[in-house]
Amino acid sequence: MKQPVQQISRAAVVWQLVAFVAVVVPHLIWMPFWIPLFCLAMIACRLMIHSGRWSFPHWSIKLLLMLITAAGLLLTFDKQSLLSGTVSLLVLGLSLKLLEIYHRRDALVLIYVAYFVATTIFLFEQEMWVALLCFIAILLVTAALNSVWQDPQRIDYKRPLVQSCRVLFPAIPLMLLLFLLFPRIEPLWSVQLDRSAAVTGLSDTMAPGDISQLTRSGAMAFRVVFDGEPPPPAQRYWRAMVYSQFDGRQWSQASLQSSQSAESLITLSEPLEYQIIQERTGRNWMFALDMPVSSGQVTDGVLTRTRTLESKSTIESRLHYRLQSSTAYQLGADLSGDERARYTRIPASSNPRTQALSEQLWQDAGQQPDRYIDALLGLFNREFTYTLQPPRMEQHSIDQFMLEHQRGFCEHFAGAFAFMLRAAGIPARVVGGYQGGEWNPYQGYLLLRQYDAHAWTEVWLEGEGWVRIDPTAAVAPQRIEQSLDSLFADDPGFLADNPVSALRVTRSGVMLQLRLYYEGANFAWHRWVLHYQGEQEQLLRNWLGELSPLRMILALMLPASFVLGWVAWMQLGQTATIRRDPVDRALHRLLKRLAKKGIPRHPEESLQAYCARLAQERPDLSKPLRQMALLDEQQRYGQNSSPEHRRELLELIRACHRSL
Amino acid sequence: MSDLLAQKFQNSVDELGKVLLGKEQQIRLAITCLLSGGHLLIEDLPGMGKTTLAHSLARVFGLADKRVQFTSDMLPADILGVSVFEAATGQFRFHPGPVFTQVLLADEINRTTPKTQSALLEAMEEGQVTQDGETRVLPTPFFVIATQNPVTQYGTFPLPESQLDRFLMRIALGYPAPEVERRLLTVGDTRQQIDSLQTMVTVQELMQAQKVINEVHASSSLIDYLQRLVQYTREGSGFSSGVSPRGALALLRCARSWAWLEGREHVVPEDLQRVLEPVIGHRIRPAEDIAGHTSTRLVAELLSQVDVMS
Repeated sequence: MKQPVQQISRAAVVWQLVAFVAVVVPHLIWMPFWIPLFCLAMIACRLMIHSGRWSFPHWSIKLLLMLITAAGLLLTFDKQSLLSGTVSLLVLGLSLKLLEIYHRRDALVLIYVAYFVATTIFLFEQEMWVALLCFIAILLVTAALNSVWQDPQRIDYKRPLVQSCRVLFPAIPLMLLLFLLFPRIEPLWSVQLDRSAAVTGLSDTMAPGDISQLTRSGAMAFRVVFDGEPPPPAQRYWRAMVYSQFDGRQWSQASLQSSQSAESLITLSEPLEYQIIQERTGRNWMFALDMPVSSGQVTDGVLTRTRTLESKSTIESRLHYRLQSSTAYQLGADLSGDERARYTRIPASSNPRTQALSEQLWQDAGQQPDRYIDALLGLFNREFTYTLQPPRMEQHSIDQFMLEHQRGFCEHFAGAFAFMLRAAGIPARVVGGYQGGEWNPYQGYLLLRQYDAHAWTEVWLEGEGWVRIDPTAAVAPQRIEQSLDSLFADDPGFLADNPVSALRVTRSGVMLQLRLYYEGANFAWHRWVLHYQGEQEQLLRNWLGELSPLRMILALMLPASFVLGWVAWMQLGQTATIRRDPVDRALHRLLKRLAKKGIPRHPEESLQAYCARLAQERPDLSKPLRQMALLDEQQRYGQNSSPEHRRELLELIRACHRSL
Repeated sequence: MSDLLAQKFQNSVDELGKVLLGKEQQIRLAITCLLSGGHLLIEDLPGMGKTTLAHSLARVFGLADKRVQFTSDMLPADILGVSVFEAATGQFRFHPGPVFTQVLLADEINRTTPKTQSALLEAMEEGQVTQDGETRVLPTPFFVIATQNPVTQYGTFPLPESQLDRFLMRIALGYPAPEVERRLLTVGDTRQQIDSLQTMVTVQELMQAQKVINEVHASSSLIDYLQRLVQYTREGSGFSSGVSPRGALALLRCARSWAWLEGREHVVPEDLQRVLEPVIGHRIRPAEDIAGHTSTRLVAELLSQVDVMS
């Protein structure tokens, strides 16, 4: 038999539109502007059709629209952006499908694709709010699915949503269970995700003179969770790289010498244990609190000669790792001749005036490194100003900085300081990384933003090894003690890349608390949901003991059967009634027994009719059955019922039961 | 006394069975309807014995009967009566229409216009006729047996639900079984047979029986069952409109009559089940007018879905 063509109800059409919007909304964050506009136009067209002002489009119009979208996609996306191109294609296809929804079949196509598109947002973004939007989208798409099966005559806008909630609500415990227990399998294939260049406060090289205005970004660099107490703010130096070569203008990293082991380290304090959640950088460097004890549990990380952490491959996604660091230490007690040469090398002809100044100060200090360093820091403290808008410095940038402008930020100070130390023959190097961070009291973690990027100096002193000296601290101690955030609250250059940044308005009071709370929740999301696979094994081990397939299956099956049983009970369980009357109970037991024996009572059969039928099948029982039927009739429908009759009836029922 | 009365009615069933061969069930239903004080609608094809049943009933119960053949050009006055000016007395004199009788056989009621239909149905409901501002009470008992052709036939004005509701029962006679029909063919003239019928019950006895029936016991278990049935017609997906409280009351009354006719002093579920289709069949409507979803099927579904014993 041919299935009749099913037209969907008007409410269902509206639900398709709602589902479509819900699915597209999260994608707005990345989509080229014309796609949402096109979708809006299609929705408007569909509403015109829905209200009866327009009729369904002719095939030629549909063809034209299809060609327009195809051309738009080809012009917008190239081979590099395969993923966003594909999702855009799906979204545009959905929007075109909106125009021709008429039958149930059309709506089903739209809904099934919408489910898929709703989940593709996770390829672009995995934040908490995205998950929330996606959840809402799934709820609405399910409602749209419900509406499709609604009776076309019965227009009810609310019911599909209620049904959708009713269907999805019992699925939540199952979802949580699967999330907790389901093994995380490595992907079978991977998709090239489109990435724009990451913003970072760090770079491989450091040329302070080139920068006249430092714009700093409020983007997140990494977050740290300490197992114990966090170190005091003055010790929060996060080491990322060491610049050991100076070419007269620019500091850069020494060529990689991975064969060499890390400089020797003697820890003088109990090491701190902590976990770092690093945002994507697109580079190799990783972060560690001064001074990392070992590369610890970092899967891909190696500890370089200069005790910075480096990943073997570039970091293209959020990375979690655990480290141990000691804040009191002695680093690199011995310095080889090669290294001494490298760390004191400066181009002879560069910055001559600074070299002369160094020579003079060195002589004044009686060639004592301690006194020389004190003299330099004193000089910085007296004569120099910390600013984020230093003047641009041309050739011999350190000369200009030291003798003319005397204004700069951490890179200027660290670079000039290291240069002058080297000029006096003292081994020195510049360390780049982050300093400080914002403590979130709600979730107990430290948040480092890009504007926390910092540069400082390490000096090698005989008998002490490499000592960290931060010349910026001599100029602007607040920079180290507090955060840059509070220091430059009114500086226009600060956060200039993001003029409407939420950070600007959330520096104090309730807004600050709200922001910290939001960031805390987001952090918990990253740590416990997105990075759950890192914790899964340990967590399951804590709960289940030794992991074995049997235990995993049991752990999955038991709660799952509980949940499903509960659902089944909710659906079916209420039909059973409790029978208190002994006669009633005995009678139902008898009826159940008979039903099991293959002679069930039909619903429309009264007990009397049933007994009459039964008596024909079981002539041996016909007498008690007839008697029982008669007594029951008197009891149930007659006027005169007495306790004796009831007792008699009960006896008869039991007798029948026994003789079965 | 009551037993004796019931026996008389039982005998009348047998007496009617002499003319309407093999239709005991329908005869019982018709008597039940009469006992319950309601009106009867017989829906069947022409020539199935509708008129015979009506005539026989009137005869067996000793009631005056009149027959009206409804046609499409009939007017209300043709049924209710008309006031005519008499030159001799110089006054209007009311000539009562055929409605002034005890048993009125309204033949093919759906062939006349709604206007005429409603005039009759009003009389049925009120038990009186108002003509020219004067109200005239109809004789008691007043029992209408209307017959109608299935609405699918040509030239019919189907009765709307509200008017169908005025009839306590709707029954169909159906074709006779082959052996019964054979007997029918050999017996010969039906009219003579009707004339030969004996009057078994007097009007007084009929009125008395109608009173007695109210005392037939309906237990709470039975009321519960009835209530479940009615509730199902209101909630079940197959029904577009359920049985009204008036329908439920009619059901109980007919079940009582049936039980009494069976010689019982209390109602059992079977009584209810017997009268269920005739009483509610014309009061329910299937949700979708898909072919095959007749009220008979609906009632069968209703019976199979509602448990007699909670």
